[in-house]
Parts: sequence; structure tokens; C-alpha cells
Amino acid sequence: MLPFLKIMVKNLLAGPSTEAFPFAPAHTPARFRGKANHDKSKCILCGICRHVCAAGAIQMRVVEDGSGVEYVLWHNSCVFCGLCAHYCPTKALTMTDDWHMAHRGEDRFAVREDSFVRYGQCSTCGSRIQPRPAVIVEALGTKYPDRFLMCPSCKRESLAKRSVPAKPAMETSETSDE
Amino acid sequence: MSSTYTLPVGPLHVALEEPMYFDVKVEGETVRAVELAAGHVHRGMEALAMNRNWFQNITLTERVCSLCSNSHPATYCMALENLAGIVVPERAQYLRVIADEVKRIASHLFNVGIMAHLVGFDSLFMHAMEIREIMQDVKEGVYGNRMNLGALTIGGCRYDIDEESKGFMLAQLNKLKPLVAELHNVYDTDPLIKTRTQGIGVLPLDKAIEYEVVGPVARASGVNYDVRRKAPYAVYPELNFEVQTDTAGDVHSRAMLRIREAVESVSLVEQCLEHMPEGPNQLAGFVQIPEGEAIARSEAPRGEVFYYVRSDGTDMPQRLKWRVPTYMNWEALQVMMAGCQVADIPLIVNSIDPCISCTER
Repeated sequence: MLPFLKIMVKNLLAGPSTEAFPFAPAHTPARFRGKANHDKSKCILCGICRHVCAAGAIQMRVVEDGSGVEYVLWHNSCVFCGLCAHYCPTKALTMTDDWHMAHRGEDRFAVREDSFVRYGQCSTCGSRIQPRPAVIVEALGTKYPDRFLMCPSCKRESLAKRSVPAKPAMETSETSDE
Repeated sequence: MSSTYTLPVGPLHVALEEPMYFDVKVEGETVRAVELAAGHVHRGMEALAMNRNWFQNITLTERVCSLCSNSHPATYCMALENLAGIVVPERAQYLRVIADEVKRIASHLFNVGIMAHLVGFDSLFMHAMEIREIMQDVKEGVYGNRMNLGALTIGGCRYDIDEESKGFMLAQLNKLKPLVAELHNVYDTDPLIKTRTQGIGVLPLDKAIEYEVVGPVARASGVNYDVRRKAPYAVYPELNFEVQTDTAGDVHSRAMLRIREAVESVSLVEQCLEHMPEGPNQLAGFVQIPEGEAIARSEAPRGEVFYYVRSDGTDMPQRLKWRVPTYMNWEALQVMMAGCQVADIPLIVNSIDPCISCTER
């Protein structure tokens, strides 16, 4: 007797094991890496997502008036590796479990995450810095909240003021004025 | 009167999944000699790797091949860690082994399934693929993708296993075990499979050593060589497993060996889930890759994967080179095919589990 016959009969009785998808909802696990989602309210424009994206799906362009950055993630180029979401320090980028990505050919340039992230302002001098949304200040800037909101040069200045003692750095007892 | 003629198979042929050119010298129905010509799907990935930074190359190496898509980035990351002297957290080592073994089970079941298909036993093929689907669900549920796990990063793992996914994984493995045992029995006793595969494509031990074949092809011919044992990496020294070997060296023994290895892998995953320590699953912050060169090797489902990396201290590799198991195995096809029947060519080719796209990269 063929050893497989028993299995075959069992499989026949069990019925089809394929997903009934278009006619019934398909099961999607919570960890599924689908369409990427960009939350502009959390983005600090650090650019690590663009740095690690092997597919070159992420583009960041400063808009003409310099007020912010146009953030574009092309879903058609994305390979769903999830590295961007992994390295995003603020979790502004996440991989959703949405896999419904079918679209008409004519819409291929419209299938993208498109957001505009406005630059922030230095809390001291008012110059242009990366955005510092309130939610992120709570999460990342807890150690030195004041300094987190400064531009690099103001930050350096405040650090220098903090670390340098009030007295002169070098005292010379002998004045040589001969 | 016997006549000899040349039968060209490929580069694109219904019997081949991937482009490969075989120049088969045939006498009647018997193959007398085979010449191979490769190079039809060259993708220039080594050149691409030199234009991408260390992080982007994790994703790139993962896409060298779908079935070993965890072994490639794992070996690449290991080479980088060797170069930079990074010590990967222990939990990450366990997580890496789990990902590797899950991929191995799925890859082996795929190959034995395809063998049934080539024999002409399509209902068994579908049954094997359905069993494999249990592992595919694990990959989708735990890692987030059915083929490219995206499990690794330099200095650790990107995923973690919590209580929920551990339970899910164990349940799936428990579902898998009796089915694989059943499958093993079918492949071992089914007269159709046995007639078509036993004594076909024999690679004797001396030829296996001469051609330096690796992976299940070598082990089915009696070469007890497994990188997990010979040059242990990650946490393999702490795990209990037996390197499967066989002496027959034919198509059937290679398939049986793969099923037995899948059973071993199930036990390896269970051991890892049980002994995995708490702790971080990756290094904090970004790693710096210093100037220098390093190698790493690991046991992919098909055999030994070897990576060489050279860095000049920038964030892009100066050279990234890898050798895949199929490259070592396909020359041995000349031995396996000599004297076989024309109808057995696809079966023999499949029995080395060829991955042309990874070899030509």
C-alpha cells in the first residue's frame, strides 16, 4: 500500500488550506512588515532612515523658502526591510501591517508617503534647527531639556559656560613686563 | 547501432528554475558527459555592495538569495563584527541561531518538496509545501516577512522573542514535528520515490572530497563536515545536535538527510528558546567599522557560506566578496550525471539544491 494514500485521504477530508482572501479577510500577524508609515509630528529630520535605506526609497529635500523639509518615501522602491523603522530614534517611521499595496500603473508616482516637516527654532538665538516636537523632547531630551532645544553653536556656548569655572583658566604669578 | 549526440539544456529551459546551461552528451537515453556553463544571471552585487554603506549592505546581502536569506546577512555581520572586534550580546547570539534554523527547516522542506514534484508526485509536493507553510507562518508571525526575515543588524538582532511569540513558535514546532516524521516515513518507504531516486546521481566519497563539495551534498556522501561543528559560531558549541551523515550519496540519501537535518533544526530552535538568557538583543548605538579586513563563515542550508570584507575606515566597504555553497557543488554534477538517464537530469540538479542567483550574484 502506498504510504502516502492515508495522508492524501486525510488532506482531502480536511478541505482546502489556502486563504480565502478576496472573499474573506486574510490573517495578518501584528509584527508583519508592510507599508511604512511616516509620522511627521515625531520626525526630527536626523536622516538616519535615508542613510540606512538600501533601496533609496527615502528622499529629503529642503523646500525653496528653507522653512522645512519635504519628506518622501516611495512605496514602489521600498523593499520592506524595516531598517529605517529600526534605527529611527523617535519611532516616527513605523512598518504597519498594511499589505494592500496594489494600484493602477498610472498611480505609481502617487503611491508614497509625503510629508512636510517644518524646521524648529533655537530656543536661544532663534536660528534654524532640526524640529524638536514636544513628544520627542519628553522622550529624548529629558536629560538636558534646555540644551536639547538649542542650535549647535548655542549648545556649545552653554556647555562651555557650564564647564568653565568662574575664575580665569590660567593664573600667572610672574608678570613679565621687562 | 548506438549514436552519440549533444543535448543542449538551457540557459532557459522548462526543467530549470534558474538559467544554467548544460551541454549534455547523450548516447541513446544515457548521459555520457556533461559540461556546465554559468553566468547568465550575473547581478553585479559585489559591485553594488561597494556603493552602499555598512547598514544598507545588510539589506543587500539579505537579497542575494531568498532561501538562505538569513545566512548571508548573518555571515556578513559576523565578518564585520570580527573586523571591529564587537562582542554580540548573548541573547542576540541565540536569536541568530533561531532565525538560522527556522530558515533551514523551511529551505530543506522546500527542496524535498521540489524533489517530489520532479519525480511527478505532485500531491506529495503539495503536502510537503503545506508542512513548510507552518514554518512560513512562524517567519511571518515572528519576523514580519515570509522570506526575508530582516532579523539581523550589525552587533545584534533586530527582533526579540517575547512570551507570546515564544509560545506561538513552540506551538508551531509541535504542529510541525509529527508531520515531518510522517513525511520522513513517506520518503523512506514510498516505492515511487525510491525507484526514481535511489542509486541515481551517486557521488562517491572520494569524488566528494576531490570536488570539495559542501553542505548536505558532502554529508550525504560521507564527508562529516558541518561549519556549525568544525568552526562553531554564535552559540552552537552550547547546543546539542548531531551532524547528519550518510554514505549512499545518491539523490534519495540527500533528500533524507535534509529531512533529518530539519528535525535536528527543530530541536535546536527548541533548545535555544529554552536556554535563551535575558538581556539586550543588540548593542546600543552605532558601531564604527575600523580599517582592515576580516572573514567569516557559517553553515547555510545548502552548505558553507564564506564572506570576506575589507574596510578602509569609511562607512562603505572597500571590497565585499562572498562564496556560496552552490559554487562548490555544481562542478560535482559532472560526476553525478555521468551514466544517468536523461529524465533524471532535473532530479539530480535539484538534489544539490542549486541556487544560481546566489552563485552568480
